Amino acid sequence: MGSQALACRSGMERGGIAVQHYLDVIVAILPFLWAGFVQTFLVSLVAIAAGSVLGFLIGVVRSQRVPLLHQLFGLYIHVLRGTPFLVQLYIFYFVLPNTGIEALQWSSETAAFVSLSVYTSSYVAEIVMAAIDTVPKGQWEAATALGFKRLPILALVVLPQALKLTVPPMSGVYVNIIKNTAILSVIGISELTRQGEISILRFPSDVLFIYGVIALVYFVYCYPVLRFTRWAEHKVGGTRVVNLD
Amino acid sequence: MNWALDFYNYRIVEQYLDRFAEGLENTLMAAAISLVAAVILGTMVALCRMSARAILWRPAAGYVAFVLATPLLVQIYLIYYGLPSLLPATGRWSELTLGIIALSLHNAAYMSEIVRGGIASVPRGQIEGGKAVGMSYIQRLRYIVLPQAFANTLPPLLGQTAVLIKDTSLLSIIAVFDFLSAGLLLNSERVRPNESFLTIALGYLAIYVVMLGLSWAVRRWLAGPAWNAGE
Repeated sequence: MGSQALACRSGMERGGIAVQHYLDVIVAILPFLWAGFVQTFLVSLVAIAAGSVLGFLIGVVRSQRVPLLHQLFGLYIHVLRGTPFLVQLYIFYFVLPNTGIEALQWSSETAAFVSLSVYTSSYVAEIVMAAIDTVPKGQWEAATALGFKRLPILALVVLPQALKLTVPPMSGVYVNIIKNTAILSVIGISELTRQGEISILRFPSDVLFIYGVIALVYFVYCYPVLRFTRWAEHKVGGTRVVNLD
Repeated sequence: MNWALDFYNYRIVEQYLDRFAEGLENTLMAAAISLVAAVILGTMVALCRMSARAILWRPAAGYVAFVLATPLLVQIYLIYYGLPSLLPATGRWSELTLGIIALSLHNAAYMSEIVRGGIASVPRGQIEGGKAVGMSYIQRLRYIVLPQAFANTLPPLLGQTAVLIKDTSLLSIIAVFDFLSAGLLLNSERVRPNESFLTIALGYLAIYVVMLGLSWAVRRWLAGPAWNAGE
């Protein structure tokens, strides 16, 4: 009886020590995780802003079916969708400086930011074009009958209706971007995943725990956006404008 | 022609052709195995997810949410570095095996969403109609629910397969010798980024074009004969 109680207590103490150990690790790596999260947050925010602007322009141009431009941007989208983001990152980071052009000698931050924005633009362009195509043709015809030209129709009639439809798929793209920032760790951007790798150098025996914490931080960042996507899909009418892979 | 050779010297690529082939083989193998595993696992997760019992659907929903809201790279790290500390025996497994496990678990969540969407897309009226004309449960499943669910599942499944093939490139980070690794090897031995990375990009593009053609053919096939095409 006594030895059992003793064993039980020592087990609890061991448990206590384990909890204490994990707490110590958390406290030790917290500043690094925070710095990493801030970097991930900033990169994803800047990439979605730049990627959206670029993708929006391409999507609007493509929706107008201008003969050569339509095919050219179609090729741009296919090339970006047909290759892994990691390969695109390597091309921006290794191949572009190799051209010898001074303006393309980028730092890893610039390469990361530009490649992520360009990658994002391909998705945004498809979403914007699909949303514009969803607006009924009668809207164009009615506005034309009232004497509007093409650009005013686009800006005043079609886009206000189309942009609402882009909200659910765009938030889906946002989740995708956040997740893709993890790949930027490969070229040495010190975002969340990279900071995790550095923390593991300090606490090699807690690999699973540290990556678990990292995954949790990503989850806390992405899951609300994911839920918002579902909610917005439901709100807009449930139909997906474009298949987001 | 000299400037073209300066930019892209195909002779260097030729020397590494068997390395590229080896990498491509690993890439396609990893993609094929994890595709099959993900479809099987994903169907099970989808069935659990659609169950009325909380003990089944809650874990399934949690699993799907976790996979969808965390980066694949972190999941690969969790499996590759983390799994051996849970199950020491897995420490002896090769990078490729652990990578395939990670990819399968990742894609199972996406596949489960696709399968769930496919089954849910069959309107209830279809089943009721089948009952009204006196079909048995098996007949309804065989002639009404499954064909329509299949037709609604196949196109997104092919899309996810294309993504899966691209995602195998992340295995190069945990030292699997995949297609991308062949290019990285060329670059590290010869310091010729153009030959290595442009070749890889072209290779992935070729796979993508095949997948595009496949999904086009499937969409035509599912649309049925021309007399059936009217809305």
